[in-house]
Amino acid sequence: ELTLLGVTQYYAYVQEKQKVHCLNTLFRKLQINQSIIFCNSTQRVELLAKKITELGYSCYYIHSRMAQNHRNRVFHDFRQGNCRNLVCSDLLTRGIDIQAVNVVINFDFPRNSETYLHRIGRSGRFGHLGIAINLITYDDRYSLRRIEGELKTAICPIPKSIDPKLYVAEHQMEGGDAA
Amino acid sequence: IQLVEPPESVVEKVSFLFNNLSMSNLPKKTEEMRTLIEENGKEFLRWLAQYMVMKRVSIEQNFQPLYNNFLTAIADKQLEKACKDETFRNIRILLRSDKRQAASNFGDRQLLKNLGMWLGMITIAKDTPILNTDLDLKSLLMEAYYKGQQELLFVVPFIAKIISSCGKSEVFTAECAWIRAMIKILAELHCEPDLKLNLKFEIEVLCKELQVDLRNVELEGVLKDTDRLLRVPQQLGDLKML
Repeated sequence: ELTLLGVTQYYAYVQEKQKVHCLNTLFRKLQINQSIIFCNSTQRVELLAKKITELGYSCYYIHSRMAQNHRNRVFHDFRQGNCRNLVCSDLLTRGIDIQAVNVVINFDFPRNSETYLHRIGRSGRFGHLGIAINLITYDDRYSLRRIEGELKTAICPIPKSIDPKLYVAEHQMEGGDAA
Repeated sequence: IQLVEPPESVVEKVSFLFNNLSMSNLPKKTEEMRTLIEENGKEFLRWLAQYMVMKRVSIEQNFQPLYNNFLTAIADKQLEKACKDETFRNIRILLRSDKRQAASNFGDRQLLKNLGMWLGMITIAKDTPILNTDLDLKSLLMEAYYKGQQELLFVVPFIAKIISSCGKSEVFTAECAWIRAMIKILAELHCEPDLKLNLKFEIEVLCKELQVDLRNVELEGVLKDTDRLLRVPQQLGDLKML
């Protein structure tokens, strides 16, 4: 059901303590419509959401220890565009089906390929364009290659600048403007 | 026009701001933007207008109401003017572009629709007219009809998106002469037997939105008046030889 087609995947080597700094850099360089940021534990979800809200991000969070109706509410509000970014743990089991989400960030790299696919994969064959960025620590180095192999996909080192064609819809404007 | 790009640090601040703008932090982000405008001067203002229209408004259609509120909250007349000019500039570029591959050129058509929706929002919905000197909507419809299917595929959805803002205006309602004239042409187009089905739907949806009954619109045969069609100002690209 889930596919990685249409999603360009990158990784960046970081130390744990550089992760927030790295996130800041991404949010200054990329053109994000809406984003989802994944952490590996409910505690880290809350900590990160609090931290980046202080830094001026527009963000909500959901995790598995929240009541289902509360989660639904937050997710619904996010889908409506009431906020731009969503920090969450692993609870979306059907893949992201929000058209506006063009950037997914694995703030913590998942431990197995099934989780990776659930976070990054899109449902349906015509998934919308998007990029996925994985923050990889020294401890994740083997998981990265293992998951890449198991899913038969390519996760490349993040380049200095990312071509908007890969994740910003209707990039054609650039070409048209030259006329 | 060649714009000077601000220093990278400023570009990144703007990009961070727009990546994190939402209704709930609008006042705070408005203050931040005002400071940026003060610090960076007039050149920056023009660059910002171009950034907003080309990188945000035309692509992130889902956040157009938010960006509209943001622009209103900043309340900078020069910025508003620059954004409007930039909107018209981009629309003109898209209208003049080669339309031979219209059916498959989904990207350009979507951009034009998005810009149409935005244009309606910053003009009609605010009781401000779209001047014929900026964009002559009625002539555009006639010209597209004259030039053919491909042109209609671009123009009809674009016009429909602009006009759909009428529901929010006190002045430019579906009853006002300016809008009525366009609805009449759309109704006439709707009767054309070989008009594409999706364009028929587009017209029907618009009329439903504006609570206009298509059957009650009196037709004037504007599209049958070939002399008149020949004389409309040209806003679309030239016809290409096959």
